[in-house]
Amino acid sequence: MSTMTLYVEKNSILHNTAPLTKVLYVMVSIAITYLIPEIAFVLSVAIITLLLLILGKVFRKIVPILGLSIILILSIIIVQGFFHPQNQTILFSIGFVTFYKEGLSYAALLTLRVMNMIMSFGILILTTKHDELVEAMIKKGLSPKIGYVLLSVLQLIPQMRTTMAKITDAQRSRGMETEGSLLVRMKAFFPLIGPVVLNSINITRERAIALEVRGFSSNQKRSFLNISKEYRYQTAIQVILWLTLAAAIVWRILTWLS
Amino acid sequence: MNSIEVTNLSFSYTPEIDVLKGIHLKLDGETTAIVGQNGAGKSTFVKLLKGLLRPTEGEILLNGKNTKDYTVASLAKEIGLVFQNPNDQIFKNTVIGEVMFGPLNIGQDEQKAKEKSIEALEKVHLEKYLETNPYDLSLSERKLIAIASILSMDPNIVIFDEPTMGQDYAGKETLKEIIFELRNQGKLVLCILHDMDFAAEVFERTIVFNQGKVLIEGPSRDIFAQKEILEQAYLEQPYVAQIADELGLKGSYATDEDLLRALKEE
Repeated sequence: MSTMTLYVEKNSILHNTAPLTKVLYVMVSIAITYLIPEIAFVLSVAIITLLLLILGKVFRKIVPILGLSIILILSIIIVQGFFHPQNQTILFSIGFVTFYKEGLSYAALLTLRVMNMIMSFGILILTTKHDELVEAMIKKGLSPKIGYVLLSVLQLIPQMRTTMAKITDAQRSRGMETEGSLLVRMKAFFPLIGPVVLNSINITRERAIALEVRGFSSNQKRSFLNISKEYRYQTAIQVILWLTLAAAIVWRILTWLS
Repeated sequence: MNSIEVTNLSFSYTPEIDVLKGIHLKLDGETTAIVGQNGAGKSTFVKLLKGLLRPTEGEILLNGKNTKDYTVASLAKEIGLVFQNPNDQIFKNTVIGEVMFGPLNIGQDEQKAKEKSIEALEKVHLEKYLETNPYDLSLSERKLIAIASILSMDPNIVIFDEPTMGQDYAGKETLKEIIFELRNQGKLVLCILHDMDFAAEVFERTIVFNQGKVLIEGPSRDIFAQKEILEQAYLEQPYVAQIADELGLKGSYATDEDLLRALKEE
C-alpha cells in the first residue's frame, strides 16, 4: 500500500544515522536558536543544518519546501520591518513605506530560525523511513498503540484518496455531475462523502479485529520483525548534541545574570 | 442494435508502463465475457468504455458516440457499469432511495424513477426490502442493489465487473436471468469474470485479455476449447471442457448439457 512519505532512498551518512539521533538533532538545533538569539549564531546553525542536508544528498528535496515557506518569511519581514516596537533607525524607504533596522534584524533572526527548523525537520523526514523511526521510538518505550496511530495516519490519507477516487467514479457512472458550478458541487457532496465515512468506519472496525486476532494488545514483551540496524558513533554524537544544548542553556543563564 | 467499436486503443497511467496496447474490437448484440488474469487490463478496459478514463491513443465509439466528446455523467444513459464493490456507491438510507439515485440524475421524473427502480429491484428479487437500510443487508444483497441501481437507469449497454464474486447459487441464477433478459431486450451486455464456468455457460462471446492485449476473442464455445491458448493467459478451462478433455471427447463443450448429450450418445 502506498503511504505518504517524503523519504528519499539514498545511501549517505545521514541515512546511516540512528533515527533517534536525528530526532535529537532536530530538538537541539531548534532549541539553541531560541536560547541564543544572535543572528550570527543562528545563521551558523542554519548553515550547519544546510551542510548536513547536502551531506545527506537530499538538499534538492528541501528547496520546494523552503519555497512554500517563502510567503510566511515575506510576511515576517514586512510586518517586523514596519511595526517592530523598537523601530528607531530608518534603514530605507520605498515611497511612503519605511523599513527600520531593528525590525529587519529581528525579522532576519525569525526567518533564519524558521528556515533552520524546516531544514532540520527535513533532515529527519527525508532521510528516515517513518516506520523505522516509529519502531525506534517503540523500542525506547513509546506505547505501540501510539506508534500505530502515528503510522496509520500516514497510511490513511493516501488510502482515503483512493477510496474517494473510486466513489467518485461510481457516482459519476450513475449520472452524477461532479464538475461545474458551485451548486453542482454542493449537490455532489453527500453522495461522495457518505460512502467515504461509512467505508472508513467499516475498515476501522475490521482493522481493529484483524489487529486483535494477531495479539496487538497482548501484554507480553514484544520482539521486533526488523533487526535493528547497527549504527556507529551514535552515543558520541548524542553526547555532543546534549553538551551543545547544555552549553546554550548555560550561556543563556549567564547573560541573564550579568 | 447496440454496438461498441474500439479502434487502436492504448492506455497508460504513467508514460513508462502501457496498461493497454493497440486494442481493436467490435462488439454488437452478443453477450460478451471478458476474462484474463489479474492485472491483464480488464477493469481499465471497461473504465475506458465507460468514459471514466480517456484513451491515450485510439478511439471508442458507443453507438456511434465517441467517448472523448462526452462527460461521464452524460454517457450514463448510454452505458451502465456495475462496480465490484457496492460499498463504494451506497449512501442513501433506504434501498429504494439508493436505486432511484441514478434515474433521477439522468432526468427521469420522480414517478418514472420509482417505477423503474421497483422494476429493477424485482429483477434482483429484493422488492420486499424497499425501505430497508442497505447496510442492514448482506454484502451479496448489496451487490444486487448496485446492479438494480444501474438497471433502473435503463442503459443500452450494461457492463458488470465481477458480479459472481461472493454470490451463492441462487445469486448466480438471478444474475443469469438478468443477463438473458437484458439480451432479449436487445441490450449489449459485457461482463468481467473470473468464473470460467459461468462465462462459458452464459455468454455467447468471450474476449481473453493478457498483459494489456486481446489474446483471442470469438464465440465462447470455441475459445474455451483452446486449452493451450488459455494456459498462455494463465486461465483454466471450464470444468465441462476439462472433463470432456479427460474423457477424450472430441469437439467443444461449454455447458453441462453439451457434455451430457455427448455422453449419452457414446
